Amino acid sequence: MILRSLWLRPTLAQPTRALITVLGVAIGVASVVSTLLASRAAIASMSADVQSVAGESRLEISRPGGFETSDLEALRPICTEALLAPVIERTALSPDLGDLVRILGVDLLIDQELRSIRLDATGNELEAARNSMLHASGVAVSESLSKDLGIGVGEEFELVIRSRKVTLQIAAVFKPERFDSAWDRFILADVALAQELYGFEGRVDRVEIKPRLELNLQQLASRVEGLLPPTYQVQPASARRDEGERLVRALEFNLTALAGVSILVGIVLVATTLATSVVQRQNQIALLRSLGASRSQIARAILVEAGAIGLVGGSLGVALGWIGADSAVSSVRATVATIAEGVTPGIIRLKWEWALTGISLGFFASIFAALLPLREALRTPPIQGLRSQHPQSIAGRPWKMRAALFALLVGAAAFFASLPPLADRPIWALVSALFLLSTLLVLAGPLIDICAGIRPRFMGAGAAISIRLAQAALEASRTRAAWAASAVGVSVALAVSMTTMVGSFRQSVVDWTAQAMPSDLYVRPLTTVGGASAGTIDPALTEVAIDTFGADFVDPFHQSSAHYKGNLILLGGAAFTVVAQHGGVPFLDGRPSREVFAEAAERSAAVVNEPFARRYKVKAGDTLSIDTPAGFIEREIAGVYRDYSGHIGRVVIALEDYLKAYPNEGPKSIAIFLPPDQDLESSRANFMQALAGAYSVEVLNNRELRAEVLRIFEGTFAVTIALQIISSLVAAIAVIAVLSALIRERRRELAVVRVLGASRTQLFNLVLSEAFLLGLAGTLGGLFIGLIVGYVLVTVVNLQSFGWSLDFVIPGSIFMILMIVIPACLLAGLAPAFMALRTAPRESLHANG
Amino acid sequence: MTPISSDSLLAAAPTRNSSVATLQSVQRNYRRGKVTVQALKDVDLCIERGEVVALTGPSGCGKSTLLNVLSAVDRADGGDVMVCGLDLRRVAESELTLLRRRKIGVVFQDFQLMPNLTAEENIGLPLALDGQQDSDRVLHLLERVGLARRLGHYPSELSGGEQQRVAVARALVHRPEFVVADEPTGNLDSSNGKEILAMLMEIRLEEGAALVIATHDKEVASRADRVVRLRDGQVLGAHS
Ligand SMILES: Nc1ncnc2c1ncn2[C@@H]1O[C@H](COP(=O)(O)OP(=O)(O)OP(=O)(O)O)[C@@H](O)[C@H]1O
Ligand SMILES: [Mg+2]
Repeated sequence: MILRSLWLRPTLAQPTRALITVLGVAIGVASVVSTLLASRAAIASMSADVQSVAGESRLEISRPGGFETSDLEALRPICTEALLAPVIERTALSPDLGDLVRILGVDLLIDQELRSIRLDATGNELEAARNSMLHASGVAVSESLSKDLGIGVGEEFELVIRSRKVTLQIAAVFKPERFDSAWDRFILADVALAQELYGFEGRVDRVEIKPRLELNLQQLASRVEGLLPPTYQVQPASARRDEGERLVRALEFNLTALAGVSILVGIVLVATTLATSVVQRQNQIALLRSLGASRSQIARAILVEAGAIGLVGGSLGVALGWIGADSAVSSVRATVATIAEGVTPGIIRLKWEWALTGISLGFFASIFAALLPLREALRTPPIQGLRSQHPQSIAGRPWKMRAALFALLVGAAAFFASLPPLADRPIWALVSALFLLSTLLVLAGPLIDICAGIRPRFMGAGAAISIRLAQAALEASRTRAAWAASAVGVSVALAVSMTTMVGSFRQSVVDWTAQAMPSDLYVRPLTTVGGASAGTIDPALTEVAIDTFGADFVDPFHQSSAHYKGNLILLGGAAFTVVAQHGGVPFLDGRPSREVFAEAAERSAAVVNEPFARRYKVKAGDTLSIDTPAGFIEREIAGVYRDYSGHIGRVVIALEDYLKAYPNEGPKSIAIFLPPDQDLESSRANFMQALAGAYSVEVLNNRELRAEVLRIFEGTFAVTIALQIISSLVAAIAVIAVLSALIRERRRELAVVRVLGASRTQLFNLVLSEAFLLGLAGTLGGLFIGLIVGYVLVTVVNLQSFGWSLDFVIPGSIFMILMIVIPACLLAGLAPAFMALRTAPRESLHANG
Repeated sequence: MTPISSDSLLAAAPTRNSSVATLQSVQRNYRRGKVTVQALKDVDLCIERGEVVALTGPSGCGKSTLLNVLSAVDRADGGDVMVCGLDLRRVAESELTLLRRRKIGVVFQDFQLMPNLTAEENIGLPLALDGQQDSDRVLHLLERVGLARRLGHYPSELSGGEQQRVAVARALVHRPEFVVADEPTGNLDSSNGKEILAMLMEIRLEEGAALVIATHDKEVASRADRVVRLRDGQVLGAHS
């Protein structure tokens, strides 16, 4: 009880200090929570709630390239035992919303038994709606979509599907009974209409199976497989969801790891605060010890304080994170859109598990942070043994131990960096980065010493004395100063390493785009406001392009999914002969692009991207066997190309061969090379003229295309930058907290300096100098470690998580970081400096409070 | 960070009647809640150039308060305070700072050295605050207080007596017009106290600085030029 009041009273007496610490924890937790919430929202929209869309079906039959409806005949034997529902599930662009909507094409009669969709109509209305959906361009839309579009039953709206504008009519509005986030912006159409819209006549994306009786699914699945050609796959409905989720979870993992760094900075902050309360109350602790308080009683008091900070900070963090998730979701979405297509926005929902995770994160981080201060407190002897403040003894420097510890941490970092990825994730590499960051804790002390040892010669003695006093003060509370410097260091290191990674990445992408995208014009489907592009282009457009420019100048790129050794991969088809003439993606081994494509065209070989080669450990010269709807295709690998446009393995074969396996669904994009004598802008204008009215596509020239690639690239890193800012914020809070604590401790000392004739300005400068020195020490350490962490990110983490090899580039912008950090530290020093400013000489008269 | 402009201070010629400080009907009240403590009631006092004045009186009579007003650390609530030609009730805070920095030396009962500066740096601090550096002067004083060999030591490595010697040197390093000392020997044993007091008297005599010293010690009082007795914030009478 007495002990608790030892902490409770001073905390209540200095609410700002407690508040600052709580805020530090809260921001750290908030960044993790909002990252998780936002990426969960992205997953929700993409696949997590696919379950609800999949309705009550238990099995799904699918095949890359689609399910031939004629094959349904083969399934007749199981019709009595199970319900078979053909489904087309796609996205389309709504020009009104500037965003994607989902279209689910189903057999309306069968589907009633499968999905929990209730049309908002009765009697005659319902009959009319059915008729319109079955025989005209009527569709049912979800209530939220009808609201977003601002129209109701009977009204028409436009969509862009396969580069063509189509007009649909709302026949009915439906209210989903469950999982409303999954049904957000959803359109339900008859399967025949969907087939027509997507040029998918005779095929559907999948056939869902719902057993009528309690059947053994395993047995049912093998029976179905037996009835169909071997290229079909029968899977539980959850398998498709798992595939999509795997991708987003990989991303989520990386983002969360990043957000976790702000927790790290938060831990440093809590540690500093607790250490401060220990130092401030050392005399009281010593006195209590002489009065008979046990070590465990003192430990309990500290842990209670830490726990309270953690709980309050964690709760606040969850609240902040929930608010922050809304803004995070758009940037996470941009990131997700680049790795997985057809993502529609999701709704952010705070589940209580997340709240609990956030709060316990705050709690355990704080308890962990309490360990070092706890040790300090437990070392406090009874008052008789406590000599007056003894700065020199605190500053005892076991530098040999430090050097050994540093070497140990670096060694551990090197070891973990060399380990292969764990479960496809660069977990060990991130552990390595963590070790590198923790070297900052070891380095900060010596760095403070160095910064405190610099004797500025260029200033007058009047100015120098402020710096000298600042240095002396930092030296005295070296441990805590070192922690604050580490907090700065960690966030600088984070910023530097992220900047280095993004910079290296950007440089690689710029170089890559210059080579990989040599076409003069580039045709692609319309994009969402957020820049996400989805769907394909009407194959008829390829014909228009060939008519306009000639077959030798048009390279349509088709893409679909296929299986390689049971794994889902992307299979592309490109006009090899055209690329062989004009050049294309750069190859890893440095061979000229034209040469490789010429060889591939001649020998009917394939090219694969780097992520594919890394994941499946193949190289040029190896032979692949790809499982396509037209059976297995055997291809030799002509070359491995650099690909920064995705991290899924991709195999590209000659277009003619591709089209045999995948009847023409239309290209994803068309690259057009201008014949030598043609003018760019006038050709573009002519071409657009030819397309006018019939197609809705974007035709970019080369410069626009490259700019667009960079824009998408920058969108991808929007989250990273936001997280970086957050951790810097926590570091600034750490500086404020530590400096205010140091100033408060030294109030009497400052007052004495005032009696000796120091002006207010000198006190102000004294505190700012301390902030500057803290910032300088942190920045130097952070810069050094940050570059090393950046190297690990570029060469190990990237390679392991995306399969991209990048050139390590140190971008000039890291010096911008330095230009920001030191002023930011000075800014953080302002509040404590004003506090010092108010110190009156009279305060020298009272004992330390 | 340039020193505050000092025109007015330097212009203030040696004060009339060769006094370094004059207090007239000075009042100082402390208010805590509804209770008001009159720590000083109508105090009149004049400190002459180079003289030693001992302030005595029972605990709580206002000695420290008076010293603080004299040394421009605290402001009076009423009356006139002239120190080194400046009317303390009128001048700006910056002038007070300059006054403390250049004209007044302070010795505390509990030493109050900067724990993170060496003995040498502690002594040089008032000079440094004024943008000056004079290591000869600092070394000279270190020698005078008998600590020439301890110049690199930190306060925590010095005994109480040694710390107070450093404090004495610090109070005199900038050749102040007067030094105030609030029970400077209160925290020391008597022989140490005597020695330090002798040192303080001697050096300030050499430099011609006045000394105002608050003390309970009769012997200290006996060595002063003048003893001023206080009771309940009032001057009882002066004895030469
Ligand atoms: N900050 C303050 N707030 C309220 N009252 C104060 C304050 N400082 C001093 N006093 C009161 O003013 C009176 C004079 O105090 P002062 O410290 O000058 O006495 P003193 O003569 O120095 O005593 P001592 O010999 O014990 O040091 C006392 O009654 C004291 O309680
Ligand atoms: Mg007193």
